[in-house]
Amino acid sequence: MKRANAISGIFLCVFSIVMLGMVIPTQINAGPSGMMSPRLVPNMMMIGILLLSLPLVIRGLRKTPEYDAQDTASPISRAEMLALLRISGVFAASIALYELFGALVGASSLVILALLVLGERRPLVIVALTVVLLTGLWALFYKVLGTAIL
Amino acid sequence: MEHLILGVGDVFGGTTLLWVAVGVSLGYVLGAIPGLGKAIGVAVSIPLTFYLEPVSALGMLIGIAKGSAAGSAVSAILLNTPGEPSSAPTAFDGYPLARQGKGQKALKMALFASVTGDFVSTIILILLAAPLARYALLIGPVELCAILVFSLVFIGGLSGNSLTKGLIAACFGIFFATVGLETETFVARLTFGYLELEDGISLVPMAIGMLAVAEMVVQAGNLNTLDRETANLRDSSDPRDRTVTQDELRRCAPVIARGTVIGTAVGILPGLGASVGSFLSYGETRRVSATPAKYGTGMIEGVAAAESADNAVVPSSLIPLFALGIPGSVIAAILIAAFILHGLTPGPLMFQQQPRMVAGLYVSMLCASAILLVIGLLGQRLFSQIVHVPLRLVIPGVLLFCCVGSFMETGSVFSIYIMLGFALLGFLARKLDFSFVTFLIGFVIGPKLELSFRQSLQLLNHDASNLLAHPIALLFLFAALVFVVLSGRATARRSGQTPPTTQENCNPKGGNQP
Repeated sequence: MKRANAISGIFLCVFSIVMLGMVIPTQINAGPSGMMSPRLVPNMMMIGILLLSLPLVIRGLRKTPEYDAQDTASPISRAEMLALLRISGVFAASIALYELFGALVGASSLVILALLVLGERRPLVIVALTVVLLTGLWALFYKVLGTAIL
Repeated sequence: MEHLILGVGDVFGGTTLLWVAVGVSLGYVLGAIPGLGKAIGVAVSIPLTFYLEPVSALGMLIGIAKGSAAGSAVSAILLNTPGEPSSAPTAFDGYPLARQGKGQKALKMALFASVTGDFVSTIILILLAAPLARYALLIGPVELCAILVFSLVFIGGLSGNSLTKGLIAACFGIFFATVGLETETFVARLTFGYLELEDGISLVPMAIGMLAVAEMVVQAGNLNTLDRETANLRDSSDPRDRTVTQDELRRCAPVIARGTVIGTAVGILPGLGASVGSFLSYGETRRVSATPAKYGTGMIEGVAAAESADNAVVPSSLIPLFALGIPGSVIAAILIAAFILHGLTPGPLMFQQQPRMVAGLYVSMLCASAILLVIGLLGQRLFSQIVHVPLRLVIPGVLLFCCVGSFMETGSVFSIYIMLGFALLGFLARKLDFSFVTFLIGFVIGPKLELSFRQSLQLLNHDASNLLAHPIALLFLFAALVFVVLSGRATARRSGQTPPTTQENCNPKGGNQP
């Protein structure tokens, strides 16, 4: 975790410096004179993050006698990273299909692709679950709650 | 009293009870699925309540929270996989009981303990919130700002393993709350030209992304372990192993009473959360036991201790929300969005402005406790089958609901982008141990904190020495400072020791922090 802390600390330092030096001045106007600046609180928070990230970096980089493999191990396992990439891909594909073909195709593809990337290979289960979920949603919103969601 | 009678009429006269029962059932099912805790359940279900009457909607959401707090014991006992960390102590003795074929007995005891803890804590909420709110009305902007700062520091220090990371998460939460039009000058802040951001970032897609989608990604990375545990489940053929005996009830009564008191007290203090309550209760029960060595091998008292405290935390954690408008837990932070959507602004003024709705809410909370007992007893065997459903069939449905819930908030795909962005942030926060609880609470109280800070600067004439005229504010700021110093010392001591292994007996896959 120590290495992860050091890396996240460095990232946060860079992020807060970029926000303070570039993003906040360009994205928030100084505001009318005589009033408190709208930048005040965002700047304060970024300064807070910058100051708090420094001890994370220092503690993460300092080697202690009991420094071992656990300190350098990644907190994110390979399986979790793969799951993140796969589910991100499912969302990207489903949103693209939604934009191209509409809600039904977008929602169906989300369920089908998620089942496939999670290891489900039985065609009947894939089709049945997709139909049940979409019909259930339609019944819940349009019949039970009496409202349109699109 | 007059409002209470009207509230009873509102709850029993319409469809409110039905929606509370739906909420409790849904919560129980969600809680039983590993990784889907009460916060996720409530966040995903808020859009379902858009078209309900306010009391029905809020009763349903609180029913979900109560139901899933009780339901999380199912996966803890049967799979050794607590749906939430707060159910981890339940697994210490619940899972050994299940392996002895006494899973149904453990589930029944967990239900009795949950309902008792929940009901008593709800009564304490009703008795305490309104009197405390009267004092809260005397608080000015300077004092409020100091209290909010203290709360954030306290929550940041206690809801994760590192105060530094907790405070970073709080700063991020407040920072994201500043997105949108600034309320005094109407200057757009950090909108990057997107009109959708001018009203600020909506809490619903943010919470759904950070809690539900991020958790589903973590669960997707751990599918095999869960499937192996599910395959090992068996029930005993002896009927005595499937019921709670009179002797066991008698032995567990004082344990449940102690757990309820501990859970209620922990819930009132912002930031401590259900995990602290259940671990404290379990630890105390084991400490006072004549046979502490037997704990962890299948002691029914262990299940009762953990579950009574776990469930007592939910209602009492609403006390700071109702009395002061400060969310003390992630569930309270999410409920704020639902309360405001339905026209009830949590805080001391709600008792004066909408006493009838508050009374209706109290009555529906009490009814939820009774419904929880009935639904738990009738449907426990059925609900316990839910843990047999492979997670790969659950995750796609949850992801679909997440998208629908986020979409409904604005009717735009932009909300889904917001959800996905915060899902990534939530995933990283979980894995890098940054408290997303503190983040969400910082986001919710951010606007109030900014407003009271600006007012305080004007009231104090930009001179810190004027703080001397506000002793309550000074007291809270001093308490925050003392807490930072004490936490720093504790961290320094911990860094020289082996990391704690409080959950070594179980396999907690739930990522919700207390």
